[in-house]
Amino acid sequence: MKRKSSYIVTLLLLFSVALFGCSSNNSNAPAAAETEITPGGTLRIAFGVLPTSLDPHLTTANAITHTARQIFESLVTLNSKYEVVPMLAESFESSEDGKTVTFKLRKGIQFHNGKEMKAEDVIASMEKWQEGATAKANLGNSTWEAADEYTVILHVETPSFLLMYTLAELQQFPAIMPKEVIEGADAAGVKEYIGTGPFKFVEMRPNQYLHFSKFEEYKPLTTPADGMSGEKIAYFDDIYYYAVPDDSTKVNGLISGEYDFVPVIPLDALPQIENNDDISKILYPFGLQTLIFNKKEGVLANADIRKAVNMALDKTALMSASFTGPEYYRLDPGLMLSEQISWYTDAGRENYEAYDPEQAKQLLAEAGYNGEPVRILTAREYYTLYNSAVAAQQMLEEIGMNVQLEVIDWPTLLERRTKPDQYEMFFTGFPASATPLQYPFLDSKTEWPGWTNSSVIDSYLAEIKAAQTQEQAHAAFVKLQEAFWDENPVLVIGHYLQVTASTNKLKGFVDFHGPLLWNTHLEN
Amino acid sequence: MIERGTILKIYILQRLISLIPVLLFVAVVVFFIIHLTPGDPAAVMLGADASPAEVEALRQELGLDRPIIQQFFSWFGGLFTGDLGTSIFLKAPVFELFVDHLGPTLSLSVLAQGFAMLIAIPMGIVAAKRRGTVIDQTFMVVSLLGISLPGFLLALLLSLIFAVQLGWLPAAGYRAMDTGLWQHFKYLIMPAAALGFIQASLIARMTRSSMLDVLSMNYIKTARAKGVKDIVIVYKHALRNAFIPILTVIGQTFGNLIAGTVVIESVFSIPGVGQLLVQSIISRDYAVLQGVVLLIAASYVLINLIVDLLYGVVDPRVRLSRRS
Repeated sequence: MKRKSSYIVTLLLLFSVALFGCSSNNSNAPAAAETEITPGGTLRIAFGVLPTSLDPHLTTANAITHTARQIFESLVTLNSKYEVVPMLAESFESSEDGKTVTFKLRKGIQFHNGKEMKAEDVIASMEKWQEGATAKANLGNSTWEAADEYTVILHVETPSFLLMYTLAELQQFPAIMPKEVIEGADAAGVKEYIGTGPFKFVEMRPNQYLHFSKFEEYKPLTTPADGMSGEKIAYFDDIYYYAVPDDSTKVNGLISGEYDFVPVIPLDALPQIENNDDISKILYPFGLQTLIFNKKEGVLANADIRKAVNMALDKTALMSASFTGPEYYRLDPGLMLSEQISWYTDAGRENYEAYDPEQAKQLLAEAGYNGEPVRILTAREYYTLYNSAVAAQQMLEEIGMNVQLEVIDWPTLLERRTKPDQYEMFFTGFPASATPLQYPFLDSKTEWPGWTNSSVIDSYLAEIKAAQTQEQAHAAFVKLQEAFWDENPVLVIGHYLQVTASTNKLKGFVDFHGPLLWNTHLEN
Repeated sequence: MIERGTILKIYILQRLISLIPVLLFVAVVVFFIIHLTPGDPAAVMLGADASPAEVEALRQELGLDRPIIQQFFSWFGGLFTGDLGTSIFLKAPVFELFVDHLGPTLSLSVLAQGFAMLIAIPMGIVAAKRRGTVIDQTFMVVSLLGISLPGFLLALLLSLIFAVQLGWLPAAGYRAMDTGLWQHFKYLIMPAAALGFIQASLIARMTRSSMLDVLSMNYIKTARAKGVKDIVIVYKHALRNAFIPILTVIGQTFGNLIAGTVVIESVFSIPGVGQLLVQSIISRDYAVLQGVVLLIAASYVLINLIVDLLYGVVDPRVRLSRRS
């Protein structure tokens, strides 16, 4: 017997995450459906640096995923409760042994080039996406097969209840594109941006703007809009993402009416926003502020010294240095956000809160630290990371560590952090992942900078992967987070919120791991 | 006797030939500085979460794992066929990208230079004529302020006043000329004023000092003794003789504008050469960075050549010395 439309029911029960979660509605904005809406107009977004590609298979970079989601869709996606629901698939069902998943495709779905989406396009797209690291790690050598023009079967290598989550990934997501577009792709991604979404790609002018327009032939689902799923109606005729690299200019442009929407507002500009009656700010929980230790070489390979560092760091002061006030951060040891209630745990809190510089000093001496240089890599481009690094330097010097702050540019940091002889630690941020398996700093197999190599953490990760139910996975995850705070391969400094701002005329706007520009309009 | 036109052609040819070693030097230095700087386009392209294995695989596919000398000769060889390379990020030939970004920069530079000359030359002349007076001192303080004030600060102040408070001008952005001349200028007024003010300070100071030299010369005194009108003395006799050093500064500042609009273009989000350069540095887009620096160097040398040729137009003595 087959389990019908698969994981939905199970996941409904298991993954009941609060709507507030990583989504947020514009509080000043009534839902689009409640008012008489005149479609049309142009949405002008002050975006920062434009993405150089829109291929979402390529990377987890926000600049790509936050724009590409307006034009591409995947077979399944997440609703606001983090449940996996169909999008381009009409339905999906898993065999009893979990070794096959059959996707029935929606008929009559057109790509932006007028071609109808069929099984061959889905298979070509999924096979290309599966070459990416996260997909490869979770799907392994699973294969795709077309049963007919509108039916696709996934032959799963290792059945897991997390599989559907991987397919519903929001970062580096499995966008469905025409087979011909996939065949024309190279290492730098696809060369044409043709999807099935409510908006279509028009033009990208480097350093100037990215232009989408309404896809008139879009066939929306009839289910209510919910997270990334449900009915999507494009109200705007055009969307322009303008390249505005300077933060002050974004804010000035929003106030003066040059732009309608700024996806990320710098925190030091908030007073300007708050004092303006024509502008609304939207706050939403976004991710983790972390300190990564080099565990392959140098003094931080010693777990006791890492423990001393954890005790020397005043996490409240670090988060305040980066995110100004408690309105914009939370002190939380969790690897998952508290809204993700099916995963969230505060296991390890006692170690997270173990701030004690005197004991840290003692622990440092016992661990045999002898004034060896501790290099913190940082870059000014990301002031929240830079500010934490400056504050941490002072705190660590107070317990007698010989700290060198190495300020370099971000691309240099990206390269140097892959070399174990180049640093001892660096700060970085991670957007909240749908499952803990997607964080690259836990699994020793990823070889991600910092080189976590804990057999204990690896064994809990394997346990989560092998779990058949969310309860089993959660139990293993609690143990994992306890081990994480015992061994300190990485420190979670806290959780941070992101601030978006828009003109009050923008109505119906919802953010769910990034902006959703359908069902949103500008009031006249 | 050789014709004047022929002399000029030989002179221009000599200057163009002298461009070759300059560009070769720039090409070699730029290539190696960029490639020896840490940072990896593959890592930037794949984002912060990419695994080292993924980055390495992309490096191989993009040919970035080849020995640096091999990469150099591959790029250098292309230069002789006019191929500056292709951007791996923007997926377009570098020359095409440069031309595409040159329009906004040229518009901005010409407008800024026009603005600078319009205020700087009269200011310098008046300051020289009224040497030691309150007007002279005020003008020189203003020009000192222009030299000292960071461009980004002036730009943000202008934006706060004219865009945010008064709402007269757009805070940022760019509209191409085909959207209408007024639209085009409206977006460039503030950046051109911010940029031009800094350039104006340099030109005003040079105009003042050059005019002071000339105004103290005997032939000016003679002209005054003969009862020539003051305005004729200043604009016909003095300014023309004082103009060579002013022209040099104008040439230099214009050369600087082409390459030096980086900050103003960033603040006002103008998609010019400066922005292209900054983005290519951030993403380590080697081909764009190398090609654009090379083209900027060539533009700079060519602007200097044009300024040299203009010396002859302004001052007949330069024409005569070239002939001899």
